[in-house]
Amino acid sequence: MKTSFTINGEVKSIDVDGKTPLLWAIRDDLDLKGTKFGCGKAACGACTIHVDGKQVRSCSFPVKYAEGKNITTIEGLSKGGQLHAVQQAWAEMVVPQCGYCQPGFIMATAALLNQIPKPTDQDIDDNILNVCRCGTYYRMRKAIHRAAEIYASK
Amino acid sequence: MTARNKNDKKPKSKSRRKFLVRGGLGTLGVFALGTYILRNPLRRKVLGIAETLIAPYSGSGTKPNLWFEITIDNKILLHSPKVEMGQGTFTGLAQIVADEMNVDIEMIEVTTAATSTGIVDSIGTGGSLSIASMYTPLRELAATMGEMLSIEAAKQFGIAKNKLQINNGTYFYGGKELTYAQIASQVTEWEIPDTPTLKSSKNFKYIGKPVKRIDQIAKIKGDPIYGMDTTMPDMAYATIIRPEHVGAKLRSADTSDAEKMAGVVKIIKREDWIGVVAESYVEAIMARKKVKVEWDIPKIWTEQGIREMLKVGNGDKMITQKKGSALEDDDDKVVTIEFSSPLGAHAQIEPNGAVAYVNEGKATVKLSTQVIGITQKQVAEALNIDLDNVNIIGTYLGGGFGRRLNTSHAVETAIISREVGRPIKYFFTRQEEFQNDTFRPPTHHIMKGKLNDEGILEALEHHYASGDVAINSVLLPAPLHGVLGTDIGAMRGANIMYKGLPSHRSVQWHTTLPFATSWWRSLGLLANTFAIESFVDEMAIKSGSNPIDFRLAILGDKDSGPRIKTVLKEAARIAKYTDKSDGNRGMGIAVSTDTGSPCAHVVEVAIINNRISVEKVTCVLDCGLAVNPDQVRAQCEGSIIMGLSASLHEKMTLKNGKLSPTIYGAYDMALIKDAPKEINVHLVQGVDEPLPVGEPPMGPIGAAIGNAVRRITGKRLTDLPMRLS
Amino acid sequence: MKKTIVSVISLLILVLGFAFAESRKDWSGDNHNAAHSNIEQSQDPFDKMMLVLTHQRCVNCHPAGSKPIKGDDSHTTRALGIPRGADGHGLKSIDCSTCHSEENNDFSGVPGAPEWALAPESMIWEGKTRVEIATQMMDPKRNGGRSPEEIMKHLTEHELVLWAWDPGVDSEGIPREKPPVPKDEYIAAVKEWIDNGAIIPNE
Repeated sequence: MKTSFTINGEVKSIDVDGKTPLLWAIRDDLDLKGTKFGCGKAACGACTIHVDGKQVRSCSFPVKYAEGKNITTIEGLSKGGQLHAVQQAWAEMVVPQCGYCQPGFIMATAALLNQIPKPTDQDIDDNILNVCRCGTYYRMRKAIHRAAEIYASK
Repeated sequence: MTARNKNDKKPKSKSRRKFLVRGGLGTLGVFALGTYILRNPLRRKVLGIAETLIAPYSGSGTKPNLWFEITIDNKILLHSPKVEMGQGTFTGLAQIVADEMNVDIEMIEVTTAATSTGIVDSIGTGGSLSIASMYTPLRELAATMGEMLSIEAAKQFGIAKNKLQINNGTYFYGGKELTYAQIASQVTEWEIPDTPTLKSSKNFKYIGKPVKRIDQIAKIKGDPIYGMDTTMPDMAYATIIRPEHVGAKLRSADTSDAEKMAGVVKIIKREDWIGVVAESYVEAIMARKKVKVEWDIPKIWTEQGIREMLKVGNGDKMITQKKGSALEDDDDKVVTIEFSSPLGAHAQIEPNGAVAYVNEGKATVKLSTQVIGITQKQVAEALNIDLDNVNIIGTYLGGGFGRRLNTSHAVETAIISREVGRPIKYFFTRQEEFQNDTFRPPTHHIMKGKLNDEGILEALEHHYASGDVAINSVLLPAPLHGVLGTDIGAMRGANIMYKGLPSHRSVQWHTTLPFATSWWRSLGLLANTFAIESFVDEMAIKSGSNPIDFRLAILGDKDSGPRIKTVLKEAARIAKYTDKSDGNRGMGIAVSTDTGSPCAHVVEVAIINNRISVEKVTCVLDCGLAVNPDQVRAQCEGSIIMGLSASLHEKMTLKNGKLSPTIYGAYDMALIKDAPKEINVHLVQGVDEPLPVGEPPMGPIGAAIGNAVRRITGKRLTDLPMRLS
Repeated sequence: MKKTIVSVISLLILVLGFAFAESRKDWSGDNHNAAHSNIEQSQDPFDKMMLVLTHQRCVNCHPAGSKPIKGDDSHTTRALGIPRGADGHGLKSIDCSTCHSEENNDFSGVPGAPEWALAPESMIWEGKTRVEIATQMMDPKRNGGRSPEEIMKHLTEHELVLWAWDPGVDSEGIPREKPPVPKDEYIAAVKEWIDNGAIIPNE
């Protein structure tokens, strides 16, 4: 089954079973490895991407529903070589340890800031439900607030 | 092309090494400059690591191996024997090299040494020892490299070495300049100097400074750096069916329907697993569902059954520490409290897996592993080929935490590749990950203590039961188990650090469980410290003294005693520790020492809706010289949060004979909402060399939280994960 | 897949015997299942309808708390689970559609159907008796102002409701339990009950 969508600004067409999780189309067919496989059960958030600007866990999103949609992955978050505000904040606060879950968190945070430009601690607690095993949450919270500042100053 | 060492007549123990030069070789125009070591200069460290059992770096000395490459664009590429799993080791090593070679850190790149290209640690990366063990040897190597380049630069300019001017990897003389790369490209035979004098610490530009992680931009941008991201041309995907029941054996499998599924390449049946290979991962998963398997399930293991096995009094007894006399059971002044901790999963986010290609008697395997050298041996043995024909290429790890100290799935991937004749990518499903973990074993503890007439503790005993940690691990040769008798991993943190006590003892009861338990970040430290420090706190309350003075009175002045006292006092002072609680909010304090690094935490806990919420943690760690204080802090924060998660939330159990749960969420782990909003880390430097960092801060966290809950509610929580009701 | 599961389960029963039966009992902690035993043979349309409406497939989306309850044991997870939010679809940034799509996902085990959402707080069923549920369901003040016809439509035509008979597999690939009455019989029972005046018995 052929499915077409825009991903990171480019129109792509892939021919896979429509039930294929979008994650695998992105990773293996389009060779964008920044979107990570963590659990395959929409429980950890490592595969978080944006579909039409909203956060979606791509391991549980069938390719066929991507038809005509606008998809952004971590590779498309930075524009023209400039890191996205969330990525800048992440670098300032030196958030990553092993780093594997970070693209998912960064995408979830970018989606959060799209909806709530200045999130409170409670907004963060409610909306950021990804899992990080290294325990970088303490710095992440600081980075999310910092990203909101960078966002606001742009 | 091997250089002769002109100073080799009378080898000096410290600098006896040969250097190999591969000028103009290497790949893609890279000039490689390598060294290999005849004698491991790190042996002297070995004595210091008996506690951790994970030896420091111990490269093999039989092959020419590569430490540094000077690339054509004048960068210095360090082939690290240690892997980067988040602990920041690559950054610390880059700082060390930059300082001793007097170059900007931007000139340094670090990569994981593969078995074919560099020195891999033949034991592994773990025990929080990477920086601690590499610090001096790497400084010596880098300084020697710098000196070699200077000698050659002087030769090429035709001047005396002391006339050279150098700036960031480029030599200048008389208006001319030569880069490291240009120099290296001209050299065919290197002169090997004695190890130069190392830089004085007051001249460090990078060591001891909060340099930003050198790998963070790649991680923030989602670069394909992990085992899960690796590929090989014409690769097929494998998934493996394993038993879900503990102890189950494969009886029969009907693969006929599965073989007809789209994209299926081959289905491979082995004694205890079935590999389903297809052109894509999704096709492999679809086909896997069509395999009809029957298992022999000899026994349905229950939670209670495991608990019965793991009780003080059952299993192999070993007294691991003894001073003074044992407490008598009929002494009515003896206080006894039991504690326990559950089975814990690693739950690292990157699943285990490998990409392997076996062809014409040679194997190449790319994977995330903490044990590159051991994996090489395992693959060579399983395929019955020479070690030299197996190349293990390590990647960045999406979390280690001890889980990747056993990566025998590299063997399975290689076997499938050999059978299929193509490169194979295999990785665990999350369910497979949870049910085939090498878990942190459950533990049971009986603490006994007695106060003297002045209310000072005079005797303390820790009796503890644990499953395997070190015993049966691939890291330890089997004979060592017998010699040692004790499970040294389970023993981490089990011995009493209060050496000032007239009597103390620690007794281990070891049992091997019917499923694998092994290394989990900090090993026995978290549970053992939880038991000991909760109990000591309770005794302080019984004696009517504050928990700091109570501890200071029994720590003693031997061994690490003074350093433990320092972190304890500092933590209490900085956090303004108080015993007082308003019934909703209060503080807890606990201390431990692990691999020579004492650490104390003061936590502030609030009880919100009958839940324990950790609001603030003040951490004081003495890890000696902090090569990168910011990353030491990051390790403390991570340890605190992972330890908090294990102390308040996590628990694996047995359900209908299967290990459960098999999904995040159901396996309850701390999320951002559970992390303390304030973590203040203070470093004290009790010694001049770097000491382990990544695990010691896990020790006191559970006990500190429990002690705070005790002050708030009056209730002593004795079982992890701690719950109020 | 089904065959595999059947063989695994039958083996499980063989081996586990009593233990398995015991664990099934754990699922019947709620009051709904207790009611089942008395009325499961009944041909009364109200009985039939309520066997379905008190089944976990329905109750899980009408939870008492702010978060969905899940699975055949109607469990919650502390860490995950998105609160119903203002409109039953979750929060501003993370909502139902972050994980659930319009159909079941057999790869992830995440269930899905069009308009995946939680019922609003006025329509909580969890922990209530079947009489309480029915009374509340027919009360326009608490059912979103729906007429009996609109209720009938929701109960018999809404894809999210009918999903109960196509509930997919869970995260371990095990099929979710369907309601104890076949879909056609249920639909007929709902229509008959509402057509006959939607009379709620006293007990």
